[in-house]
Amino acid sequence: MAESSTTVIGVYDSPDALIQSIGVLRSKQLGQLEAYSPYPIHGIDEALGHRRSPIGAMVMVMGIVGALTALGAEYWISAIDYPLVTGGKAPTSWEAFVPIMFEVTVLFATFTAGLGMLFLMNRLPFFGHPVLNSKSIAKITRDKYAIAIESAADSKEELDEQVAEAALRDAGATTIEIVREPKPSPFLTSTFVLRALGGIAVSCLVSGVLMYWVIKLFPVLPPMSHMLVQPRVDPQQSSSFFGDGRSMRMPVPGTVARGFMPSFVASQEQAASLVNPLARTREVLEVGKQKFTERCAVCHGALATGIGSLTAAYGGKPANLQAQQFRDYPDGKIYWVIVNGKNAMPSQAADLTVDQRWSIVHYIRALQRAQHAMDRDVQ
Amino acid sequence: MTDSTSKQPPLLVLGMSLGAVGVVLSYRLVDHERFWANWVYWFVLLFTIAIGNLFIVALQHLVSARWSIPIRRVPERLATLLLPVAPIGLLGLLAAHVLYPGTRPEAAHNKILAGKAVWLSLPWFSVRTAVVLAVSLGSLWLLVRGSIRQDQTKDPQFSARAKRFAPGFMILFAFSITAVAFDWIAGLVPEWYSDIFGVYLFAGGFLAALSSTVLALLFLKQQQRLTEVRNDHLYSLGTFIFAFTVFWSYIAFAQYMLMWYANLPDEVNWYHDRLAGGWHAVTVALAIIHFVVPFFALSTRDSKSRESTLRRVAIIMLCAHMLDVYWLIFPSISHRPLFSWPEVSFALLFISGSVLWVRRTLAWGQDLPVGDPFLREGLEFHL
Amino acid sequence: MSDSAVLGTLPNPARQSSTQNVGENELSLTTVLPSNLQPRPLFTGHVSPGSLDDQVLAFPGKKPPRVWYVALAITTAAMLLGFTLFCYTIYMGIGVWGNTSPVFWAFDIINFVFWVGIGHAGTLISAILFIFRMRWRNAIARFAEAMTIFAVMCAAIFPGLHTGRPWLDFFLFPYPNQRGIWPNFRSPLVWDVFAVGTYFSVSLMFWYLGLMPDIASMRDRTDSKVRKVIYTVLAMGWRGAASHWRHFEKAYLLLAGLATGLVLSVHSVVSFDFATSIVPAWHMTIFPPYFVAGAIFAGFAMVVMVLIVVRETMQLKNLITDYHLEVMNKVVLAMSCIMGYSYFMEGATAWYSQNEYLIHAFKNIISGTYGWAGWLTISCNILIPQLFWFKKCRTSYFWMILVSIAVTIGMWFERFVIIVISLHQDYLPSSWRIYRPTLVDLGILLGSFGLFFTLVLLFARVLPVIATSEVKGMLPGSQPKHGRSHG
Repeated sequence: MAESSTTVIGVYDSPDALIQSIGVLRSKQLGQLEAYSPYPIHGIDEALGHRRSPIGAMVMVMGIVGALTALGAEYWISAIDYPLVTGGKAPTSWEAFVPIMFEVTVLFATFTAGLGMLFLMNRLPFFGHPVLNSKSIAKITRDKYAIAIESAADSKEELDEQVAEAALRDAGATTIEIVREPKPSPFLTSTFVLRALGGIAVSCLVSGVLMYWVIKLFPVLPPMSHMLVQPRVDPQQSSSFFGDGRSMRMPVPGTVARGFMPSFVASQEQAASLVNPLARTREVLEVGKQKFTERCAVCHGALATGIGSLTAAYGGKPANLQAQQFRDYPDGKIYWVIVNGKNAMPSQAADLTVDQRWSIVHYIRALQRAQHAMDRDVQ
Repeated sequence: MTDSTSKQPPLLVLGMSLGAVGVVLSYRLVDHERFWANWVYWFVLLFTIAIGNLFIVALQHLVSARWSIPIRRVPERLATLLLPVAPIGLLGLLAAHVLYPGTRPEAAHNKILAGKAVWLSLPWFSVRTAVVLAVSLGSLWLLVRGSIRQDQTKDPQFSARAKRFAPGFMILFAFSITAVAFDWIAGLVPEWYSDIFGVYLFAGGFLAALSSTVLALLFLKQQQRLTEVRNDHLYSLGTFIFAFTVFWSYIAFAQYMLMWYANLPDEVNWYHDRLAGGWHAVTVALAIIHFVVPFFALSTRDSKSRESTLRRVAIIMLCAHMLDVYWLIFPSISHRPLFSWPEVSFALLFISGSVLWVRRTLAWGQDLPVGDPFLREGLEFHL
Repeated sequence: MSDSAVLGTLPNPARQSSTQNVGENELSLTTVLPSNLQPRPLFTGHVSPGSLDDQVLAFPGKKPPRVWYVALAITTAAMLLGFTLFCYTIYMGIGVWGNTSPVFWAFDIINFVFWVGIGHAGTLISAILFIFRMRWRNAIARFAEAMTIFAVMCAAIFPGLHTGRPWLDFFLFPYPNQRGIWPNFRSPLVWDVFAVGTYFSVSLMFWYLGLMPDIASMRDRTDSKVRKVIYTVLAMGWRGAASHWRHFEKAYLLLAGLATGLVLSVHSVVSFDFATSIVPAWHMTIFPPYFVAGAIFAGFAMVVMVLIVVRETMQLKNLITDYHLEVMNKVVLAMSCIMGYSYFMEGATAWYSQNEYLIHAFKNIISGTYGWAGWLTISCNILIPQLFWFKKCRTSYFWMILVSIAVTIGMWFERFVIIVISLHQDYLPSSWRIYRPTLVDLGILLGSFGLFFTLVLLFARVLPVIATSEVKGMLPGSQPKHGRSHG
């Protein structure tokens, strides 16, 4: 295995000389040929036998991938994951997805063209090439043209420097330079791949850390966090203004909830004049039964007898609604008690709508009738 | 002037005659709206193609393009279609009361139409049509006749004059195509408005003109004429068609998307007519053959200079423009696509007639503009 | 079906009386070509690849003239003022621009649209003229592209700032997040994010790839060790290999094609911000191409102004010739005519629509509180550039600079007209306000100009302002004469 690689560089003064000598040199099959110029030369690709660049096909494919990715992502986000109707437009409205789809297509295609050309096709950045480190490079990037002959990649032979130099001079080169460099170790033949993977890994790490900082850490630093602290009252916040230290206050006495009409009745006696506005229908009785069972039966018992499951625990004496006194009560007085409470019984007004209260009254009446049924009820 | 051995080809004359018979019959047998819609359709179609070709010629003079000089005679000859198209247009004015609500006396009772009666009324409609046709014919005279004469005189003054006239032509063209778009197409539904409409018709017409140029050019090459035109020139034409396919699609989509987005009743009904019932399929077909097919067919470098691909794409683009103008006009007069013997007769008449006309022009001037001082540069053009 | 069956024998042109071969005739006529047909050289004097390098690439190595420092001081001061007010806005909130009505966003949106527009000229020169193989673009493309990138950077400040909490702008990107919500893809403002973001990335890549061969030249000429390291890294080891040029050219052509699509689409998407709404005078379908034409118009005027300064102060008159300036002025004229058509169509369509709100909005453009802005716009954009019909104006510095400044002002005011006049009296009377910009608005605008010109000055100092590798390729004798295969 050769220890060092040799590159013989011949410098030319004109593009014509360059093209002509390429033909001559290729026929001599001295090794791998590459031409160098400060700008692209027309016709040089054909002279060197280069195939057409595959970048076009790559860009087309990645462009389509970009289009489908964008469309798919937009559709999934807007129509499946979190469908929203905005501006009266259906979540699946494709028209609105087209502009972004177009831009993402161009983005994918551009990055494929640019980065594909650089990394994949030209294998740049690469700073170890012998021509790059030669003295001729300054001429190449300025105004001269060059041909470099290296030993062919699969050849084990060393390049015959004399032959190559002679061939180049014959073909019209004005200056010859021979660059000898130690051959890179075959163990590292995949240097480029390693570098690329390393580069990708580093970029992922850096961008990950950066993203974390931008999204999570930065916004809570002052002064960005200033907007989180505002001179307003937040729920459950303590307060130094009010005596009890709470910022949340009870509504002012006399506050009326929406949907409720306040009761203008001052006492239970006055309430006697209230009339049950609901008709005694099955639905109303169902509601009454449900609500009575929910709220009243625990104390007053399922049959309104005054013996409920809580009675023993509390030691209270809930009213026995089956008693004659309460059977004689007008509806309004029962209603009044539900709303305002009586003795130990608290007001149930906060948990029952007006209709629900009257439904309970109906149900109580039904219970009373059931326990004191008359003969004609069972006929 | 013409080669004495050529005579009228029988097939085309037969086609034209059959078409003419069918057209006359349809005047009697089919309702007037449909008849005149067909007439207006062919006027708009042929006018946009003809003036599109004149635009190509003027554009070349404007930017002093050299690569297009060898092919310039082709669009010049195609532009002469303006000569038979002018009387077609003037006759089309007879369609006014039938098709254009703004020209009818009842328009005075409609608040919107009455407000713009000064534009919509028939006298002004006619004046504008006459002015547009006169301007087009005048430009044709200046640009094409002068070019053909330059073959003999070899006088570079013509090229200098054409270059000086070109910007003026562009301005006149912009207003002419806009007037035709608003008068003949938007006028069918005069409550509707879209200020990109002139640009839209320009885009479609220019694309159709490019395609007609390419088709005629490839045809001539097949006849062993214009052999000096090489793949480099074809590539440039192919690139133009590709680029303007994208441009047309952009304009078409922009108009549609904006009207869809705002959903204003003033505007969106025009699209409703084109997306309801049978027209929906036509709209989808239009998008496919006017954008998808040519875009992918011409996306590679090779395809833009390959003769077989260019010929097929040019034919597809001409059909696409025909479908486009059909889609612009007919949904405003019918709820479902109309296509039967009246439409076929009109097609026979006008297509045969146009081909016959263009065939005659093949003897007008040399195939190459031999008088142009920069012809050699044009012939030597390499990518 | 054979053509001859259908078409018969074709008529042939008459035989030419002379036996001259094709293309021979013009030899004797070159001496009598009319003046407007005379071919114009793309560079004057003797230019060779070597002299080009010496002329253009020498700048980064030399000490800049005093005037550069003075200019930099001025622009940096403006930029710092803008930056201070930017920070002030973030600290105090957007209310410093005015409050309680949409019209108070005016300056922010105007500046955004203005700067994105300026950027489009660069891409057009770089990409579209490349596709059309207009060789005159080679000498000015690099600078124009750099201006695009700087303009887009200036533009990006404004939507970034106007959210009020710019550090949360990443909300606009569709990444899976704990908030459980996505951006609204139906909104043109989100389209803007993607469009301007793509535009910036693509322009940056296009510009950088084009720069690589030139940086390689600088790498190989420089004596300074520090610079050599920097240029070596930036040039990525470019060595001018033919196999590399092959891929490079293909990628460059594709990028030019893609950038062309962007020129059309980016400003169209910006126009969609307005046109998709129902605000009177905003919902006009001509907005997309009208905005694109306006962008090219404003951008070219800015490019002309900057290039005049560049060619004079950097002694580049032999490369950026009178012809370049004249052609760019013709483009400015053409765009002015397109703008004239657009304004006409807008006004005519407003009348044609017979929609009282639309007509009222258009009346507000030429009369009322802001009628002066409408007239200013029309004069600066349509009337004054008509001077360029006259060759004397196209070739005189005084008139060129006058028109360019008028166009820059006119195009800024055009966005003012569109935004302020429509918003100050839109459909919701509770939003009607008379708009007056605050000092913060004006300061940030000044700051954006400061930023732009600071970047331009720095660019001219550090990187090659002319794409030497591209210009070298079109010098006489640069391409082989024979033995080329034809396409």
